Amino acid sequence: MNWRSAAARVLREPLVHFLLIGALVFAIFGEDGAPLDRRIAIDSAQVERLSAEFAQNFRRPPTRVELDALIANAVRDEVYYREALRLGLDRDDLVVRRRMRLKMEGFATTPVDLAAPSDITLQVWLDKHPARFAGEPTFSFDQRFGGGALPLSASLDDAPRSEIAAQFGEEFAAALTGLPVGQWTPVTSGFGQHDVRLRERRPAPPPRLADIRQRVENDWRAVQAQASEERAFRALRDGYRVTVERGL
Amino acid sequence: MRRIVLATFASCAALALTGCDGNPLARKAETRSEAGIAQAEFPQRVYWGDSHLHTSNSIDAFGFGVRLGPEEALRFARGEEVTSTLGLKAKLARPLDWLAITDHSDGLGATKALADAPGFLIRDPQMKRWHDLLNAGPAGSQRAVAEIIDAVARNNLPSAMMDPKEGKKRTRSIWDKHIDTVERYNEPGKFTAFLGFEYTLMDGGKNLHRNVIFRDGRKQVAKVVPFASLGTVIPDGLWRYMDAYEKATGGQVLAIPHNSNLSNGLMFQMTEPGGGAMTAAYARRRAAHEPLVEITQIKGDSEAHPFLSPNDEFAGFGVTGWELGDLAMAEGKSPDMFAGEYLREALKRGLTIHDRTGANPYKFGVIGATDSHTALATGDEANFFGKHTGNEPQAGRIMQKQNLGTSEGRFGWHYLAGGYAGVWAVANTRSAIFDAMMRREVYATTGPRMTVRFFGGWDFSGSDLSGDWVRAGYKRGVPMGGTMKAGQGRPSFIVSALKDPDGANLDRVQVVKGWTDKNGKSYEKVFDVVWSDPATRRLSGGKVPPVGDTVSVARATYSNSIGAPQLATVWSDPEFDAGQRAFYYLRVVEIPTPQWPAYDALRYKLKLRPEVRVKAQERAYTSPIWYDPPA
Repeated sequence: MNWRSAAARVLREPLVHFLLIGALVFAIFGEDGAPLDRRIAIDSAQVERLSAEFAQNFRRPPTRVELDALIANAVRDEVYYREALRLGLDRDDLVVRRRMRLKMEGFATTPVDLAAPSDITLQVWLDKHPARFAGEPTFSFDQRFGGGALPLSASLDDAPRSEIAAQFGEEFAAALTGLPVGQWTPVTSGFGQHDVRLRERRPAPPPRLADIRQRVENDWRAVQAQASEERAFRALRDGYRVTVERGL
Repeated sequence: MRRIVLATFASCAALALTGCDGNPLARKAETRSEAGIAQAEFPQRVYWGDSHLHTSNSIDAFGFGVRLGPEEALRFARGEEVTSTLGLKAKLARPLDWLAITDHSDGLGATKALADAPGFLIRDPQMKRWHDLLNAGPAGSQRAVAEIIDAVARNNLPSAMMDPKEGKKRTRSIWDKHIDTVERYNEPGKFTAFLGFEYTLMDGGKNLHRNVIFRDGRKQVAKVVPFASLGTVIPDGLWRYMDAYEKATGGQVLAIPHNSNLSNGLMFQMTEPGGGAMTAAYARRRAAHEPLVEITQIKGDSEAHPFLSPNDEFAGFGVTGWELGDLAMAEGKSPDMFAGEYLREALKRGLTIHDRTGANPYKFGVIGATDSHTALATGDEANFFGKHTGNEPQAGRIMQKQNLGTSEGRFGWHYLAGGYAGVWAVANTRSAIFDAMMRREVYATTGPRMTVRFFGGWDFSGSDLSGDWVRAGYKRGVPMGGTMKAGQGRPSFIVSALKDPDGANLDRVQVVKGWTDKNGKSYEKVFDVVWSDPATRRLSGGKVPPVGDTVSVARATYSNSIGAPQLATVWSDPEFDAGQRAFYYLRVVEIPTPQWPAYDALRYKLKLRPEVRVKAQERAYTSPIWYDPPA
């Protein structure tokens, strides 16, 4: 007999039911006998908040009468809110469900918003995803265009690949990767035929956190927010047994 | 514990229409310094960007279904892969250099707030209906937003929706968060992210919208919130807001009108708004606040209309559908309205008003933009991601009725794929790009990235096309956007256009000239100044014969076997009269290429109706160079 079936047997005992009901009654009615969900307490902190909200809108504190009205309205809010819950209005309102989901997702991602990641955290992130932050190879070359003078640099030094692609087109930039160094070689660009002499090709330098800290942080933050939401959801989701029936 | 959760929920419910996503404890991102970014002596390269993009913070974009926000928009523009609202992976083949997100200031975040609010708290029956529709899937969502836009056009929005108090709170919270996001993605020297918004001024359904772009970062911009039009019908309030901002912060801000083609003649009036005679003071004020106008974007192109320019066979690019009425189709269009809508005519009106008053209200440069409402700044035909999420890539979008208030006359294929702006700046920073915009050294394209230079001077000759001619252009002339003072002889212009290195060849480059005579009457003329294959394409009747057509619609391809990769010349005006006020701008025309419906037809195996535009000659328009006669 494993612990599961033992627990199942215990839960079938009438005595256990009785004890559970007693505990439940205590939990619901509390010590003064009024049911907890039938009490509305507006505490001083809430009164202060109502007063402050009023002051923000009207640039003066509320009078006694106005404050009474605010409190009465807060009570009215709460009564309606509770009764709406009792009637199950939250259950058949798609929007309430969606809003609640958004709130829950918000809880899950808030800690990441708050955190200011340390250099160490970001360095680890950068080391883990080098491809995402890889710099660009640079090229130094001379070029002559076959079809006349183009308003393009005849000679470039340490130009990043993306700059070359923007000026000469993708095909040309791609061709530079395999070009022999130091000799004139024909290369096709978006404009036509060039002769290109590659002087130097430098691989992308390893990215340094100091240079791209904000970029790494942006990426880290976006991914963490998503992952933390997913983790929080998983933790909740694991508490349910989900069955899906599909008609064919 | 339960009570705490309830209290949190209750206070959020109360705040529901103001948004409850703000996080006051979040660390604020700082504006990154531009110090240390090398500035060229004069502009060496063109920086490509989009000055007009909407995200889920825009009242209509959210309603149309987009769920991507500013962060995704920025990641996408700088070349990262994002997942579109409808689940497609999207990545720009060529990243942009800069981006201005311009969500509508009117009702900023209002649709999102309305959709998110608990339904039983909404008292207004109209708002409750929209709320329900917004949550009833994409079709319902689009229906709701169509009705909302219609209500805006008819000044008929429920007052609760535009409640200034609620709106202010909501705007502040969204704006603070937005500033934070933009600051985190602005990377001087690499990628410029501007703070900005769209000021959605309407007179009925007549579009008087402006995009507003700040030169500055959080320190200045956080002192204001986006300025809403709130039912006003003239831009005066915006200009006062801009003045107040500059005075209070020492910062700088500019405004860019767009979609004049949907203003039913109101964008470029000969009078002041309301009909009073235009004064020099008003003209100066307008020109100072609005140095640029958007000439082309998804909702049509506003360069020239065949009604106004009957001798220009290239006029009327992408006017189909848009020429039927105002934005909301609340009022149809009559031909007398075109003159106040199309930019070439506006530039001419500017000369006439200048002659009359001593100041030119319409001395503007031109840019292209997307006005995409998908948070994705796509401008190419092969990657058109839709005007809004309702027509993101899908089989039926070409003939989809566009329900902006009504469904009259406008269909999916009337949308252009969108344009981009090229900026000749000395660095990729907020200050350098903004300053280039202020001096109008910018040009528009309908999507392709041609490199276009244009200098005006008094002593340029053919030999100026060799050697360091760009330096000569700056030294001995003025670049696009500039003004030529009186000189000796006839003005000459350095004209240089290089094709998009990954795009189509060029057909021709044209100079468009506008001028006024001494009676204040204005004229225009289009000169073909340089074109491909001049040996075989000889002038006939003063016109260059068509370049030909290699488009295969069925395969959505074209071939660069016609046209030229580069066109350059030095042109001097053969009809110059030193006493006449004038402007000159370039129109660079590509060979015909397939348009987005052709790519869609291939992708989704569609048979298209005959009226659908499947090919066109894409183009670039430069800002003008003006000539002022001696006083």
